Amino acid sequence: MVDQIVFGIGITALAGALATVAGAAEDTESDIGSQGDPNSQVQLAPQMGYIHRIFNKAIAGEPPAYGLWVALGAGVAWALMAMQVNAVLAIILGSALAVFVQGIYATTAYLGRIASLAKFGQPVYIDIIKSMTTVTMAHAFVAVFTTVTVCYLINVALGHPFPLPLLGLVWGIALGAAGSATGNPFYGKERQYQSQKFGAGVPIAASGNIVRYAEAGERNSLDNGWFSSKLGGPASGVCFGLIVFFELWRTVIFEEIANGWGAVIVGILVILIFAVIDRYIEIWARKTYGPYGKPEEAA
Amino acid sequence: MTVKVEVKEGGMPHNQILATGLIGSLVGIYITYLNNILGTDLLAFFGGIAATLALYWGSHTIKRLASYGIGTGVPSAGMIAFGSGVIGFLFATRFAIGGGILVPIIAVIAAAVIGAVAGVMANTILKMHIPVMVSALIEMSIVGALTLMGLSALVTGSFTFDALVTSRISFFGMELTTYESSLIGGSIIAVLFLLGGIAIQHPFNACLGPSWEQDRMLMLALECGFLSMIPAAVISFAFISMAAATISFVVAIVGWFYTYYRYIELARRDAAFWLDAKPIKEPEAGH
Amino acid sequence: MVVLETLGIMVILIALIGIIIGGVLIGFGVHFVPVGGAPAAMGQAPGIATGVAMLAAGAGLAGLFGGAWAAELGLLVALAAGAVGGGLMMAITQLMVNIIYIFGMGIPVASGKVAKDPITGDTQTEFKSQGTEGHGLPFVSYAGGVIGGMLGGLGGTLIYVMLLDVYLDALPLIYSTNKEAIYLVAVSLAGIFAVGMFLVNAVLAAYNITGTIEGPHDPKFKRFPRDIVASAIATAVTGIFALGLVLV
Repeated sequence: MVDQIVFGIGITALAGALATVAGAAEDTESDIGSQGDPNSQVQLAPQMGYIHRIFNKAIAGEPPAYGLWVALGAGVAWALMAMQVNAVLAIILGSALAVFVQGIYATTAYLGRIASLAKFGQPVYIDIIKSMTTVTMAHAFVAVFTTVTVCYLINVALGHPFPLPLLGLVWGIALGAAGSATGNPFYGKERQYQSQKFGAGVPIAASGNIVRYAEAGERNSLDNGWFSSKLGGPASGVCFGLIVFFELWRTVIFEEIANGWGAVIVGILVILIFAVIDRYIEIWARKTYGPYGKPEEAA
Repeated sequence: MTVKVEVKEGGMPHNQILATGLIGSLVGIYITYLNNILGTDLLAFFGGIAATLALYWGSHTIKRLASYGIGTGVPSAGMIAFGSGVIGFLFATRFAIGGGILVPIIAVIAAAVIGAVAGVMANTILKMHIPVMVSALIEMSIVGALTLMGLSALVTGSFTFDALVTSRISFFGMELTTYESSLIGGSIIAVLFLLGGIAIQHPFNACLGPSWEQDRMLMLALECGFLSMIPAAVISFAFISMAAATISFVVAIVGWFYTYYRYIELARRDAAFWLDAKPIKEPEAGH
Repeated sequence: MVVLETLGIMVILIALIGIIIGGVLIGFGVHFVPVGGAPAAMGQAPGIATGVAMLAAGAGLAGLFGGAWAAELGLLVALAAGAVGGGLMMAITQLMVNIIYIFGMGIPVASGKVAKDPITGDTQTEFKSQGTEGHGLPFVSYAGGVIGGMLGGLGGTLIYVMLLDVYLDALPLIYSTNKEAIYLVAVSLAGIFAVGMFLVNAVLAAYNITGTIEGPHDPKFKRFPRDIVASAIATAVTGIFALGLVLV
């Protein structure tokens, strides 16, 4: 009994750690490719007369795209395991095939989007595809491999009823949702609009005027990956890691209490704690940063 | 300020694309049905062709719907297509009469009903009033069902419920029927769901913009179809004979390579400039 | 027909009603989730910087994961576990969103739609930076997101549990086998149908709010009654097909 709980805690911690790596890699990957919502600015810039050398990897929404990569990795791994291939090798091969598909999607998205911008004189830069697709594929491999491994642990070691590919779908979409929610604003505001004032949102009038030149030479998406791996990536990793950890932890440890209600009550407590932290930093920011102007008189 | 989806009409009329997709996809699925009669699984790869043709049609339907600016992204259209398509498809698979000869037709009808209800809801109750909404959701739901049926046939060689929930394994020379290592029991259906769900919306999502060209987008749709076939063919090694899975895999690779190559050529044709390791080409003043 | 005789029409009807309630909960829940879309990624509008349907699906499916895990402990526990799973995912994600805005970009949060946060009473307009519609997640949006995640997780789990119960009774009859042998087939079918219905309802709700919403204080929130009607009808039709699967 105690052994089982200790084992469960170990698996939970490992899954949380793997998920943290996954989240960080996922966000860095999507920022290098300008996937997700910041992509709208990369798409808009040439229209405003700002020709750039940024990767425009518009693949679906980030959550379903990651749902596909992870479910695909999990599905191929499942099929290989059904053919008696060892689990570790199966997960690696499955992730590799998923990343191949991801890389092809990345190139067709860039070519398609840029070719459709011909009217504004935005050239297709072939070297962007050559140098950046491989980097996003490497990051995607880290994200997919770790998430499929989390799913495998949940299925085999913790006994969740969903088969591996369905877990891949669920956690892939959750990974994309967490990464795009957390990391995207950091890339979208802080990096793309580095020339705008710090400590304020980007005025709508500035849309499309993204930073296109770097410290030396011209900015490309690898510079953006370097930047967002400082905060956006790790924060996304913490986000996804906490989600996986708390979902598993509350069930593994407290499900025995009161026929399952223990896990529910602990979950509610955790939600309340996060809400209090959120409220605290909200007030802290209001006090510390101060208002931009005067409050509107109540009409 | 976000990017406006521009309306641009292509050369081939939508009805022609619809007919090609619907008929081609049904023909492909019925060819896999011959597997039952001939007692083989070598024709499984036609399921992948069927899925590719359905996606070809679906991508153009999404383009038509998205031209109206539906307020939410293109990807959600793919998700509603497959969310309703998977239900119509799995419902139809249970009609096992004649080895499932009616399954594709029933899937089309069931998916059309679900798509029609969703479309009517969106247009009347949610007050969207988009002229093509009902027809587009019907079409996309059918595309979802046919794509899933094609890919399921590619993976298992058949598309009846019995074939999707059972698999045979040999255990010390004895043939055993199991349920947990089947297409549905193993949730491979979830993989096919997302393979199709991304492939249907990617062609338009990737090619949107003022210089959108129909032939380039449709070529990309074929490319996405063959690309989806590759992992499905790899998974099929766990379900059908080595020979059949190898044929599927080779067909997928050849088809993908050809369409990918053609797509790059079309992108090169349409691009403003095609540069390798060149600096930013600032537009000339006063353009 | 064997299935219908053995299970009885009442069981099927109750399952269908459960599925419809689940679909309505999902559609209703999506209206609570603060989604800003592309402008949110530039700090131009409040909300989470991703698509409505996708974010709701992320939270709802995380809830479904929790609910499915607790399914064998009984309906109420499973539903509660599903709701908490969805709420937890949103609580953590939204906290990290605010951390990025506040500590990464130095921007306080502010709503663009209301002058005062209805929950905390904080005034909003003076914290809105120039030329934007607000940014980040004010507390009312945060609370809305958690509620939305809970409703999504609850609805998804309800659909899953209803379908699973019917399939676990029906499939052994069809294949003359025991529940254990066919358990994974029932789980997968119920799971993929729950995902499918979830996405249909989430996209319909996203259409209803035309892509973005700030939370329960947003004027667009008042459109929810018509989505409830649309969700109920669309879910009823999909539910009939999903249950019909084992009846034909």
